[in-house]
Amino acid sequence: MTAPSRAKPTQAKPTTERRGFEAWSWLFMRLSGLALVFLALLHFAITHVLNDVVETDYRFVAARWDNPLWQLFDWLLLALALLHGANGARWVVEDNVRRPGAQAAAKAVVYVLSAALLAFGTFTIVTFTPR
Amino acid sequence: MSRAQVAFAVALAAVTLVVTAVGLYVPAKARRGGTTYKGTAGQWAFYAHRVSGFLVFAFLLLHIVDVSLVRWPSLYDDVHRLYGNVLLRLFEVGLLFALLFHAFNGLRIIAVDFFPGAVAKERRLLGAAVGLTVAAGVPAAVVIMWPFVAGR
Repeated sequence: MTAPSRAKPTQAKPTTERRGFEAWSWLFMRLSGLALVFLALLHFAITHVLNDVVETDYRFVAARWDNPLWQLFDWLLLALALLHGANGARWVVEDNVRRPGAQAAAKAVVYVLSAALLAFGTFTIVTFTPR
Repeated sequence: MSRAQVAFAVALAAVTLVVTAVGLYVPAKARRGGTTYKGTAGQWAFYAHRVSGFLVFAFLLLHIVDVSLVRWPSLYDDVHRLYGNVLLRLFEVGLLFALLFHAFNGLRIIAVDFFPGAVAKERRLLGAAVGLTVAAGVPAAVVIMWPFVAGR
């Protein structure tokens, strides 16, 4: 039985440029995935297991973001998770929405939402000033 | 419930609906297609990986918005209070299992892709991914649900 992951997509794609993009996307998913195992699980453990979720109120966030290293941690988590998720959603769309027009529309939704929220989330972290 | 809380609850319900729809559609479509669906463990791992990833992604989109409410502390606290609700806690447990499975199964995929020898141990690796998901997920789920169980 072979791995049920997306096969390394170097042979199937038509143009060289496209092939290059898919190979990079394949590598990015593995590298970002490896980082996210630590970032996402640690984030979940801190906000749901080590602390009860109701304790993670405004004061909790303000105290954490007082430290720029936690801001960096949260920004890395934000950026990697969004890009990893957006690329994953692109694969789901490409495999399941076959009509060209519908596929382009579904991808546009994924891209626009991801780009807007990456910008919004970055803005939130960078401009945060405790009251 | 305040208006902001209602908006958050509706958005989260929408996320749950979309993810459920995708979770039902993706394997059903493959089964109808007939060519790829073989019903083997690896095939189910593939679907579970996609659906769990999609759940985390869909929740992340909403989560960025609700965390960004920290700009307005009282609004943030108002919406955030909902996370302690029992339905939200159940959602968090689902999110936890999706996250754990996606992480451990992802490590399995990396192992198989980068170390050719790992293919021979494919089934055992999948068993390990599921085992680790359950081993880490059940105690954490108990911790998440505990305030409700304890009647607080």
